[in-house]
Amino acid sequence: MSDLLVARNVSKTYFDTVANDDVVALKGISLSVAAHEFVSVIGPSGCGKSTFLRIVAGLDAPTAGDVLVTGRKVTGPGADRGMVFQEYALLPWKTTEANVEFGLRLKGMPKAQRAAIAQRFIDLVGLKGFEKKYPHQLSGGMRQRAAVARVLANNPAILLMDEPFAAVDAMTRQRLQEELTAITASERTTVLFITHAIDEAVFLSDRVVALSGRPGRIVADIRIDLPRPRQWESLAGDGRFIRYRDELTQCIHENGATRETRKEPT
Amino acid sequence: MSVADAPAAATSGRRRARLARFWPAEVLPFAVGILVWQVLSWLDIWPRVLFPSPLEVAQAFAADVASGVLLVNLWVSLKSLLLGFALGAAIAIPLGYLMGLNRASRDFFDPLVNLLQAIPGLAWIPFAILWFGLGQGAVTFIIVMSVFFPVLHNVLTGIRMVQPVLIEAVQTLGAGRAAVIGHVIFPATLPNLMTGVRLGIAFGFRSLVGGEMIASTDGLGYAIFNAQQYFQSARIAVGMLTIGITWLAMDRLILRPIEQRTTMRWGLVREGIETA
Repeated sequence: MSDLLVARNVSKTYFDTVANDDVVALKGISLSVAAHEFVSVIGPSGCGKSTFLRIVAGLDAPTAGDVLVTGRKVTGPGADRGMVFQEYALLPWKTTEANVEFGLRLKGMPKAQRAAIAQRFIDLVGLKGFEKKYPHQLSGGMRQRAAVARVLANNPAILLMDEPFAAVDAMTRQRLQEELTAITASERTTVLFITHAIDEAVFLSDRVVALSGRPGRIVADIRIDLPRPRQWESLAGDGRFIRYRDELTQCIHENGATRETRKEPT
Repeated sequence: MSVADAPAAATSGRRRARLARFWPAEVLPFAVGILVWQVLSWLDIWPRVLFPSPLEVAQAFAADVASGVLLVNLWVSLKSLLLGFALGAAIAIPLGYLMGLNRASRDFFDPLVNLLQAIPGLAWIPFAILWFGLGQGAVTFIIVMSVFFPVLHNVLTGIRMVQPVLIEAVQTLGAGRAAVIGHVIFPATLPNLMTGVRLGIAFGFRSLVGGEMIASTDGLGYAIFNAQQYFQSARIAVGMLTIGITWLAMDRLILRPIEQRTTMRWGLVREGIETA
């Protein structure tokens, strides 16, 4: 099978202690991602899109169904599925350089070799000159660049991104989005990207998968046929971009926001 | 600030800068403290024997240094303190990580720790004397009992405060349990561990002095207690100040450099917040 990631009938039910009831977060998600493909999953908040990503990462276990990455069943977190988090999650006690080469160090790669690889990815994300800085000395955008470099340097089979640009300002976000499309195109990275921003998903992706409100089901799976490299300046007003965006917006609205399942306190 | 204020502010700023060079910031607070003390003793409100002047204390200090009494007592007390701290921390730190990282050991030890931690170190003095006899053995035991709980408690607090996302991030980079503990949990708990060490030493000093007053015949605590028996109030102050200076030296020479090279450098803790 040529698909790098295959999710089969993934469901997730968890017990909500506040509502004192079982909550179905995901219901029967089946999704494939081909090698070198950039796929975004969008949906209203609470639809379980982040839960789905965490199941792929092996950080959460599905209640039913399974996930295969490069043919192997996911049973826990691993270096083949590197994840970039909204909160950056850089280690505060390591410099940019040490953070970026951390995964390679865990693999036991010799120092000189991993330093060379780390430098290549630090340059690639535009952090040259900040190798010796600690995360608290970097801006939000720079931290997220370092977090992307950290995962890419580790050469994962698939890059998982959980709303990575949600915490940075709008201008920086657009820059980071443009840089990400350029980097993943040149590195031929396979990406599974979670966002609630429809324009971000259309801008970045080869395919956009939309989930319904809770319980999350796939309600659309749209191929984005826009030329690369992509840049906001030329794309924002592009008729095709707008049509994709409107189509997805309508689809998500028709399938409703997540109903509040929380019971009123008595 | 208006434009007219600017030159005056600049002048006073320069004056402050000159003062700062004359009185290094480190010395100024102590100089002011001694000055206030000297003025109070000049005012002659209390009898000399109850309120010694800085000069008398300095003379007593010089005499006790010259006779060797002070250094002997300091050495005796430091040995008890450091040994007691080392033993207490050597049990508390590994136990803290074990309890923090392993549910079964947490469930087992937590009730015992909770039962014992309300008992002050000084409450162990009677048993300490029965088991070890009068002397530094009993004092060391009391210090161990005082150091143990603040260190353990802070290690546990540190582990509870580790951000789960940091652990998850390194797991997706291929980190196993050992790497998570070594590269995430240990450095993340370092600020709390340092707080535990500080509190441990501070509690250790309290028990040292209290313990020596009752359970020993030498050491700084005993010297303070003994000086009171003979109304040698200047020597009481010498003993107290020696404890203060010893702590200050430990803080400046050992603890702060460690923090400056680790938790402060990593942006985990700051000196203070001037911008608020």
